[in-house]
Amino acid sequence: MRDTVIDVRNVSTTLGGHGIHRDLSLSVARGEVVALIGGSGSGKSVLLREIIGLLKPQAGRIELFGQSVRDSTPEQMNMLRKRFGVLFQDGALFSSLTVEDNVATPLFEHTRLPSATCRRLARLKLALAGLPPGVGRKRPSELSGGMRKRVALARALALDPELLFLDEPTSGLDPISARAFDTLIRLLADSLGLTVFLVTHDLDTLVSIIDRVIVLSNGRVLGSGTVAELKTIDDPWLRDYFAARVSKEETKHGN
Amino acid sequence: MTEARAHFDEEQGALLASGVWHAEAAAALPDLAGKTVRILDGAGVTQLDTNGAWLLLAAARPQAGDPMPELRAFQPQHLAMFKLVAQHFAATAVQPAPQREGVLALTGRGALAVWGHAIGLVDFVGRLFIELMALLPSPGSWRWREFGVQVRDVFVGAIPIAAGMLFLLGVVFAYLLGSQAQQYGANIFVVDGLLLAILREISPVIVAVLVAGRSGAAITAQIGTMKVTEEIDAITTLGLSPLAVLVIPRILALLIALPLLVFIGDIAGIAGGMLVTQQQLDISYYMFMDRVADVLQLKTLLVGLGKAPVFAVFIALIACRMGLSVTRDARSVGAHTTSTVVQSLVAIIILNAIFAVMFVELGI
Repeated sequence: MRDTVIDVRNVSTTLGGHGIHRDLSLSVARGEVVALIGGSGSGKSVLLREIIGLLKPQAGRIELFGQSVRDSTPEQMNMLRKRFGVLFQDGALFSSLTVEDNVATPLFEHTRLPSATCRRLARLKLALAGLPPGVGRKRPSELSGGMRKRVALARALALDPELLFLDEPTSGLDPISARAFDTLIRLLADSLGLTVFLVTHDLDTLVSIIDRVIVLSNGRVLGSGTVAELKTIDDPWLRDYFAARVSKEETKHGN
Repeated sequence: MTEARAHFDEEQGALLASGVWHAEAAAALPDLAGKTVRILDGAGVTQLDTNGAWLLLAAARPQAGDPMPELRAFQPQHLAMFKLVAQHFAATAVQPAPQREGVLALTGRGALAVWGHAIGLVDFVGRLFIELMALLPSPGSWRWREFGVQVRDVFVGAIPIAAGMLFLLGVVFAYLLGSQAQQYGANIFVVDGLLLAILREISPVIVAVLVAGRSGAAITAQIGTMKVTEEIDAITTLGLSPLAVLVIPRILALLIALPLLVFIGDIAGIAGGMLVTQQQLDISYYMFMDRVADVLQLKTLLVGLGKAPVFAVFIALIACRMGLSVTRDARSVGAHTTSTVVQSLVAIIILNAIFAVMFVELGI
């Protein structure tokens, strides 16, 4: 049996009187690259925030590396946080720090390495994320959207986590940068042996780099499998979702 | 999990590593000063990530130009990790610290900043004036709603604190004046002194300082945050002028609110003084008011109230300009807000001094 990294069991969430998740369960095995999809407002981002411990579900159990997120003491949670990295939707870079210091921050805070070493390791992560040398001295506000995402990825990778969460990694990027970013994520996942859990709207991401797709609908998991497997599921939202892709391809051929 | 260990074998020139190599393993590295590592031996390494691989590699290659050590007995996935790190090793070379600027350069930079600031202010006032001229003929296009919201925030919200502060200052001032006047039996003159001080100086200056700290800072923070979230750009793109939509209503609101607040401060200050003179100097409320009617000249009141709009315009101009010159990061909002308060306070003190000299020269 493969090692389970993320295990969500019977989670129910209510936010502001709205039921978001009803008895939702899913799990992700080590080394998998898994995407979570679902319509707007289906609770994808809420689920992500629950898994990384920023929100607490009303009922159910969420385990990371076999440890419950809900019942962890702050110390245990901090130990857990060192084992996963998060890439937030807009990068969430610290605007008052240079790019290099942004990436070095987790190393400053969670290791006892001298600061010069932290900065050199930060530059290694920036290079791994495909950024040219010399970016390190810049401020986040001087970078383009695609570069900011790469810096955020480098920061998420700073402590060499085993698990990486990505919230809409390609949103706001042009298709070329988006595909390049996808390729980078897959490359890093394979070469570093990462487990990747990402929330996305981007169909091209699903087709190009994902091992398995989990579909969220009406607060539950509607289905899980490869894109081909999902196409066989009879659900109006899912049909429309893939239909959007087909019409996009038709327009492409038409041109 | 086994702890990371590393041992240097002098004979082979080999660094023998074992255990789990993460970022924390740095402490396990032996002192390699003056020694050359030709071989990295990973026979005992159970786990390795990029941080660990880099630490081992950096120990063997202190300079980026040093030859790559021979990798011996590593597991295949660890070798792949080394390959990845070695590819990007050049990027991690020790960089010279950025050169610090000398006192002269800093002074020059500071002077340029002040100059740019002055030019910017003139430019801002000019654009504002053009905008105002364009708006004057059509009162329908004024942002009355925004103006109303601002008056509420700046004026109504500040009434309790302005009244409270001036009341206490009136108490303190009357008490100090009274304790001196009592020695000469000049009790009733306390009223004269109190009126002059509160109406002419204390109330306008203190209320202006209060509004600068309270509303000036709020205006800068709000406009600055709108700048960060690109709301200002959105306003411009919709064909509206940020000056007309944001700046002018705020200037007008402060222009109206500050004299009103000063007047409320006047009343509160006199009330505070009245309370103390009755308690300490046995001047009844009736006597106090009688004396006020005798000695209070309209010009004393008007001098104080007349200074308020000038303070208001300066506070609003500084606050709005600082807000609009925020750059797109969080620290900038804080720095500009601080700058607004400091600039406003300096402006208030300087303006007040100019007024004092001016009034003396004019014989008011």
